[in-house]
Amino acid sequence: MADEILRRTPPAERTKVPGLSLRQYKAILRKDIVMELRTKEMVTSMGLYSLLTMVVYQIALSQSGSAFDPRTIAGGLLWLAFIFTSMLGLNRSLVHEKDQGCLEALLLSPVDRPVIYFAKASGNLIFLLIVETLTIPVFALMFLQQGGYGGSWWMIPLVLFAGSVGIAGVGTLLATMSVNTSGKDFVLTVLMVPLMYPLLLAAVSATSAAVLGGDGSISQFWSGIAGVAGYDAIMVLAAYALYEFVIGA
Amino acid sequence: MKQLRIAIILLLIGGLLTTTAFFMAFFTAEVQQFGTVTVASELDTAFQLVSVGDNGFSYGRPWFSQKIFYFHVPVAEASFLVLLLSAVFAVRFLMTRKRSFDTKSRIAMETSLVFVILTMITGVLWTRASWGVWWEWEPRLTTYFIMMLMMIAYFVLRNSIEDEERRAVYGAAFAVLAAINAPISFMITRVLESNHPVVFQSGMASSNLLPFIVAQVGMLMVGYAVYALRMSEERLGERIDAAKEALEG
Repeated sequence: MADEILRRTPPAERTKVPGLSLRQYKAILRKDIVMELRTKEMVTSMGLYSLLTMVVYQIALSQSGSAFDPRTIAGGLLWLAFIFTSMLGLNRSLVHEKDQGCLEALLLSPVDRPVIYFAKASGNLIFLLIVETLTIPVFALMFLQQGGYGGSWWMIPLVLFAGSVGIAGVGTLLATMSVNTSGKDFVLTVLMVPLMYPLLLAAVSATSAAVLGGDGSISQFWSGIAGVAGYDAIMVLAAYALYEFVIGA
Repeated sequence: MKQLRIAIILLLIGGLLTTTAFFMAFFTAEVQQFGTVTVASELDTAFQLVSVGDNGFSYGRPWFSQKIFYFHVPVAEASFLVLLLSAVFAVRFLMTRKRSFDTKSRIAMETSLVFVILTMITGVLWTRASWGVWWEWEPRLTTYFIMMLMMIAYFVLRNSIEDEERRAVYGAAFAVLAAINAPISFMITRVLESNHPVVFQSGMASSNLLPFIVAQVGMLMVGYAVYALRMSEERLGERIDAAKEALEG
């Protein structure tokens, strides 16, 4: 319906003001942040979920004995927590939009579709980064006390940021699809995990290199980052191209 | 009806060609060798014995599991091609919004999934025979497995959407995302270090190449025939539905 109205409006009548897209982008992003500041729902639920994941990890590793060094699997554990937490958050963020009719209103307003995509993805990226920043110290406290941290300090933030861009970029598209299906969260999981596989593999490799350090860790780290960046570039571009079709349907 | 007849003829020819290739693989293709075996005394064997001085005789160890190559590779290449075909139809659907393209894309995806599963079965048999394991997390196998999961996810996504237009658009978008993996999976053994053989880099004897080409042509015919048969079935189904609706008034 909304799409129909927009399609009937000739492009010339849509006001062309320089910097308009940027203002629209900021407005949508601000709306998401203000809503989050008022309800605090996304960060709380994602943070709690991620904390609970840590508890489950503790159970999983409880029989591993003192000789086992959790640092060797730290990268995998972290990204496992982040991917599942992100799916929870992505689902939430789009369910809100849909239930309160906000998505309809966004579609009715004369905003270019890519602007909506980038604004929603940026919002999701910010919340995901906040939760990751909260999770890392807890994780380090629980599992990384012995052995310490091998790499340089900037390595973990870099890989976290690069990985989260991919998760938020592709996840926003997939969540927009999955909120309109009958099995919301389930469908998101089924779509997201296989699609995220290359990103996770590269991110885990880079994170492990950063945590463990040692010989060859720098080159492993950079090849991991290159993998993540390549994935980000291809997939965010594809998601950006497809979003227009998906949100209009 | 004409298309149906062509499909049936192609299915018959394709079946004949693949069967021929199967027999050629065993009767005319040169047996590939995999290392040598040394025996102390002369044996009565079909293999050519070479005297190695005082140490007895040696013969090239036949590599019979290689025979699956004449089936496995054509099926795998057909699966890639049909998946790309599905993505092409998906893009054309997104551009034109004609329902027939959506049906074509879905049927191509179905056909491709059948071929992917056949590839998986033959591949697993081969890895067991040649590598001694049923499965290995190796670049080619992994990317192919992920591709299969995405294709399954495609059908999960479609089945969980009621609205027809939306189902078609979301399906098309996800088909494009899934198809990005096809060239990656195809090229990855040529880029990364991988246990999976890359046959055409080393070249082949003509007695091996011939059955392969016959099988490949046959398999593509079978692929097209399966696709066309399913399409005509789909069209018949649509006509029946239309007739039912007209009768019920």
